[in-house]
Amino acid sequence: MNETGATLPSAYSAEAAGAASAAKAGSEAPSLRSTSLAILTQNLTRRFGRLRALDEVNAHIPKGAIYGLMGPNGAGKTTFVRVLLNLVNPTSGSATVLGYDVVREPVKVRQRVGHVAALQPLWDWMTVRDFAGFMRGCYPRWNSEAVSTVLDRIGIDQAATLGVLSRGQRAVVAIAVAVGHEPDLLILDEALTGLDPIARREVLRNVIDAMQAEGRTVLITGQDIADMERICDHVGFLVKGRLVLEATLDDLKARVKRIRVEHPGEAEVLVPAGAFQIERRPRETVFTVENYAEALLSSLDGPGRRVSAANLSLEDIFIDLAQAHMKGQDMAGAGGKLPPNVPGHGQEQAPAEQL
Amino acid sequence: MLMYYYNSTEAMFDSIDPKSALPIYRQITDQIRWRVAAGVFAPGDRLPSVRELASQLLVNPNTIAKVYRDLERDGLLETRRGDGTYIASDAIALAASERTRIIEEELRSIARDVRAFGLSDQAAMDLFRRILNREAERKDRR
Repeated sequence: MNETGATLPSAYSAEAAGAASAAKAGSEAPSLRSTSLAILTQNLTRRFGRLRALDEVNAHIPKGAIYGLMGPNGAGKTTFVRVLLNLVNPTSGSATVLGYDVVREPVKVRQRVGHVAALQPLWDWMTVRDFAGFMRGCYPRWNSEAVSTVLDRIGIDQAATLGVLSRGQRAVVAIAVAVGHEPDLLILDEALTGLDPIARREVLRNVIDAMQAEGRTVLITGQDIADMERICDHVGFLVKGRLVLEATLDDLKARVKRIRVEHPGEAEVLVPAGAFQIERRPRETVFTVENYAEALLSSLDGPGRRVSAANLSLEDIFIDLAQAHMKGQDMAGAGGKLPPNVPGHGQEQAPAEQL
Repeated sequence: MLMYYYNSTEAMFDSIDPKSALPIYRQITDQIRWRVAAGVFAPGDRLPSVRELASQLLVNPNTIAKVYRDLERDGLLETRRGDGTYIASDAIALAASERTRIIEEELRSIARDVRAFGLSDQAAMDLFRRILNREAERKDRR
């Protein structure tokens, strides 16, 4: 039941993490991939001059997922999307969207993808109706009723020209049109950024509605982490062009915890390898771990001590991880990637992996 | 204008807080459990469909589906084929144990603080009794 949702995607991070699961996945792996991944990139790299906008990215986005791609400004999120849409070519590596190679079959990809970008250039002189009609001509199928429903819900007049609409209204027009051809994959690139609450709500609602169709996938990039936490079931973190982490949200939240050890006086608390954001104070030691297991608490416990593990919101996790990576802190020697989802522990030392 | 109501007894939900450290799954589960315990949700009340509630609370539909599935397994909800999800008919009996469970959970966390602060059992009990009395007086005044 719920296990299927939780373990299936982890199998992909396990694949990415390498050897351990290769044996488990066995010969079925390739067919599994082609049927259950909406997006797969292999060592995807894009350079702009000396800048590596994308650096050996291995992303696995399962069909039916709402995948949030997060990262600080300039991390490579938009370049990632642009490669998927073949607006820029990869320098090396490959990307497959819905089974099609983005370089060899860009048209097949684009016909199946709906895309909303921040501040998307819309033709200001066109009416909403003409714009929808124009977009309709680009795709084999079109659901006019769905488009009208979305526009009517927040009272956008289809006879209005795009130029007179507010930024929020334009965002709603963009998403209404992006789902008009009932895409198998919907990509929102920074589309929630800077929207007023009503438009934001409407865009989120459209994403959720779009997900009601079987097997549809959504990729969202941005920094609106609270919104991502609402709707995403998978997350990836890009830092300086590297995908430093990819996990299901449930898995991530179960594993990343803030540990607090209160001790009566000065004490040298043995912080586990791979811990980060470590704060040592006279009577308490606090740090974040990426591989929480209950056994950790008892190992830290002692006379007069109080040990606790706190949940972190996705926003907290994001800030902790991003800061640790920006500082170049070594994350358990594994580039911060969570180890394969194995129910047992003893995973504290993740297999070293070169990303 | 013609208005259509699904069902006047359809359960209402509070919005969730994605920034809370409490996972969204727990926030929604707790809302249902608490309301069943307090009798706000009564047996036979219809819950919104997964789709409606996901859209209303703006959360991933899979999260709602998991909440419903887990609460159904615990006997608080029941699904009538092709009709929707309802507060289970024996939720009344469960409400009593739900009440005990929720209070117990809160008290356990208070007990940990009592121990950590080195408060005596007697002092803690006296304090609790005083608070209970004060609450009773406040209710009487209203």
